Amino acid sequence: MECNGCEFHPELYYDDEFQIWVRREGDGSLTVGMTDISQTIAGKIIHVRVRRPGTRRPPGKPVATIESGKWAGPIPNFFDCVIEEGNPDVLESPTLLNSDPYNAWVARVSPSAGPDEALAKFLTGDAAHEGYCERAVREDIHCSRNIK
Amino acid sequence: MAIDPDQYLDNEDASVVMIVTAGPSTPHRCATPFYLASLLASMDAEVNMFFTMEGVRLMQKGVADDLVAMEGGKKIIDFIRDAKRAGAVLHVCQPALPGYRIDGQADLIPEVDHVSRASTLADLIMTCDKVLSF
Repeated sequence: MECNGCEFHPELYYDDEFQIWVRREGDGSLTVGMTDISQTIAGKIIHVRVRRPGTRRPPGKPVATIESGKWAGPIPNFFDCVIEEGNPDVLESPTLLNSDPYNAWVARVSPSAGPDEALAKFLTGDAAHEGYCERAVREDIHCSRNIK
Repeated sequence: MAIDPDQYLDNEDASVVMIVTAGPSTPHRCATPFYLASLLASMDAEVNMFFTMEGVRLMQKGVADDLVAMEGGKKIIDFIRDAKRAGAVLHVCQPALPGYRIDGQADLIPEVDHVSRASTLADLIMTCDKVLSF
């Protein structure tokens, strides 16, 4: 699925601005990554830093920072969690976030109140798709994997 | 693949004051303060940006809308919004406004948090961990 060339995965969970996606993992942890919209806005990503494993992150405290040539900012966090690990592939090759944003997770976290409660705050499926498309159209965002 | 422990982020919380005097006469100096403020705020730093001298003009409606630091680059207003979204607090120096004929009530962009006196800056400087000047 896509909107304005921005890839969308209905099985993932999204914040209401579609900055990040969250994926439920089999062991009860959650992985967090950037949406196609976010990586497009950021442009070529040159550096990623994830909070040290074991660090507790309350809602509002980012799990990671991202730097591109024209944008610096957080991977925002919306639920209480503990950092499990950063994705070694992404830390080594940050442009994976541009070229493969839905496989290139940034951090794996353990939600303090369990995955169901954490994910209850997010949009998924058709509702998420509708909001995702609305943002892409409203802000005239056309996604690109161009990382030159 | 093993991760170098230094790749992880493990800073203590800190407070940073950024004094910005760069303005539209030197556009190439106007993006970096906001970029760095965004990054610091994303690292949990408490960031206060204080615009004084020509820096106040960046907070004047319309000035940053078409200003770029480099040809074809991102507009300064978007750098300002990135910093705000990350959590930076923006102060405009009240005593500097008359020299640029800026009305602190009517002429400032909505991203401004406070029109502040010099004594506010003095307090921020005396109580923060780091001061940066641009």
